[in-house]
Amino acid sequence: MFDFAEIAKNLAESNQPRVRELVQLALDQGVSAKQILDEGLMGGMSIVGEMMEREEIMIPEVLAVAQFMSSTIDEMLKPLLLEKDMNPYGTALFATVQGDLHDIGKNLVIMMLEGAGFQVIDLGIDVPPEAIVEAIRENSPNMLGLSALLTTTMPMIKTTIDKLKESGLRDQIKIMVGGAPVDQGFADEVGADGYAPDASTATNLARALAN
Amino acid sequence: MSHGGLPGGHYQPLSREQVESLHEAALSVLEETGFSYEAGLGETLRMTEKFGMRMDRQRNRIYFPRDKIMEQVNKAPNRVVLYSRDGKNDLHLEDDRVYLGTGGAAIKILDLETGEARHTTLKDLYDLGRLVDQLDNIHFFLRPCIPKDIPESLYDENVFYTCLKATAKHIMAGVNDVDGFHKMLDIASMVAGNSEVLKAEPFVSVIASFAISPLRLCTHSTRIMQEAARHQIPVALSCAPMAGVTSPITMAGTLVQTHAEQLAGIAICQMIKSGAPVLYGGIPGRANLWNLGYQGGSVECGMMNAAIHQLAKHVKVPNYNSSGLTDAKIPDAQAGWEKAMTTLLAAMGGSNYVHHAAGMLNCMITVAHEQFVIDDEIIGLCCKVLAGIPTDPEYLALNVIDSAARSDDFIKSAHTMKHMKTEYFSGNGVTDIKNWDKWVKAGRLDAWKRARNIAKQILARPNPHHLPDGVDSAIRNKYDIRL
Repeated sequence: MFDFAEIAKNLAESNQPRVRELVQLALDQGVSAKQILDEGLMGGMSIVGEMMEREEIMIPEVLAVAQFMSSTIDEMLKPLLLEKDMNPYGTALFATVQGDLHDIGKNLVIMMLEGAGFQVIDLGIDVPPEAIVEAIRENSPNMLGLSALLTTTMPMIKTTIDKLKESGLRDQIKIMVGGAPVDQGFADEVGADGYAPDASTATNLARALAN
Repeated sequence: MSHGGLPGGHYQPLSREQVESLHEAALSVLEETGFSYEAGLGETLRMTEKFGMRMDRQRNRIYFPRDKIMEQVNKAPNRVVLYSRDGKNDLHLEDDRVYLGTGGAAIKILDLETGEARHTTLKDLYDLGRLVDQLDNIHFFLRPCIPKDIPESLYDENVFYTCLKATAKHIMAGVNDVDGFHKMLDIASMVAGNSEVLKAEPFVSVIASFAISPLRLCTHSTRIMQEAARHQIPVALSCAPMAGVTSPITMAGTLVQTHAEQLAGIAICQMIKSGAPVLYGGIPGRANLWNLGYQGGSVECGMMNAAIHQLAKHVKVPNYNSSGLTDAKIPDAQAGWEKAMTTLLAAMGGSNYVHHAAGMLNCMITVAHEQFVIDDEIIGLCCKVLAGIPTDPEYLALNVIDSAARSDDFIKSAHTMKHMKTEYFSGNGVTDIKNWDKWVKAGRLDAWKRARNIAKQILARPNPHHLPDGVDSAIRNKYDIRL
């Protein structure tokens, strides 16, 4: 029985050479790439996610771990994985709403979601409601993430969701919202399906909404 | 007694050589890295080319040759006066003269009765304006919160109307867009009598966040900035990079980038209208690297804000920046130390127009009436430092020493009576110096509770009318005012 917790722990602690060693060891022992991904690497990201939620790890370190995990998957596991193993949760669309240019938080969430098994389409910043409607029609995602960092652009989240209702698309998609001034109360007011204060909670929420 | 406008400059984190080298470094950034820009700024870019700046349309960048940009920056006035409507709080922004006031775009307020956080309303904005109107050490009223109970499309007319009604102190706020700027201009002109009177002694001004750090022109805000310059309304060129996320993690790197961004903004305004009154608006700050929020309460923010004043002074443009920010959620000890340290460094640093300095909590998301009272006291104490220690004969008091030394009665001396109420800072009453028993008897009130009582007392006073009736109804007839 391979000790995936070892991989997870070393990933969370950024012991990169050791992670690569253990992944290779697991592969040599005939362990499936999917199991290594789910229990080893995503397990490690999960630990990092929990630390992030408790504000016990600095974001640049989180990004470094996510980046390293991504390159490990690409270099060592991708050739051995099936498409469905890579994206078990489907497609998510993310955008910073119209009038707002902030995206670092959104980008962090996207990185974590990709690490967790979502395919994510990033529409970028300052995205008008019409463009989001269009993108939903084109891509049929099961999830939409909307972000606003300014107190003055928060109302645009509501405008965007209202536009989706108008276009008859609201029911086919789960919506989560985020950004520094956003909170659960606001999410309830605007009719979102969920709110997350950080990327780690967002990942758990996204998984829950996808099921 | 307000100590607004006293000279700071006692605290200079950068040596003269460091100021020069950071200035040169910023000029190199402008020449070699340049700015990127959003779509829709064609006219602005063509204008800058006429003044000698260089476009690279393939890479979508604009470069500013050092002598060309400094030629423009040197046209900016070295002195900007922001007026109050009663003459009691005019702000003479120049050199190291220091004024501090409110600011922010908070969306929550701690309820005065329950202490719980709730959304801010237009009435809250009015009440905070009335409160600040009566707090002598807060020198100006920059809109501190967003009225969440009215439609966004009505913000500008309502925010400016409400602020103008609440206080005669100088009013500053952002505007939604160029239309919003004109609504503000119209309303303020109605209050002044006409727009020429207003422009001669402006009692309102605007903020334009023209640059998205790092080094990118924002179309929407640049248009507002240009409109303000065109109409001779003072404009604060706000840019607020977050060290580690939108500027280098190091203080020096953040200072260089901020200075570069400012030089570009000032230059563009001067190209629009030579001599346009602008405030160098660089606010160096930090990203909270644990959760990507804005972090403004650390001592290094105080240091950087003092350093950025040195850079603004180097190019002789009065500056707008921040102090008094905190990550504390309530008016507690952390709020006390973060605010006192950053505001003292700001005052001793000599920054001209220091906003956010009163009322803010929870890294700019929340305000509290009580915090305005406490911060009024903090600002007053910090400005008192700038008043220095007078040592002329009256203060040396040699004759008093002589007579009282023989009879040991300073406490009965006329000299003591004469100076006892003015030599030392006396504030709004929130500082408690009574003895233990009296404190217990009064209810064991901590600073938050004492501040609450003072806020309530002030709010219970009758509303002074800062808008004459005729003007008030004229504005209400023309605009959809929700107050």
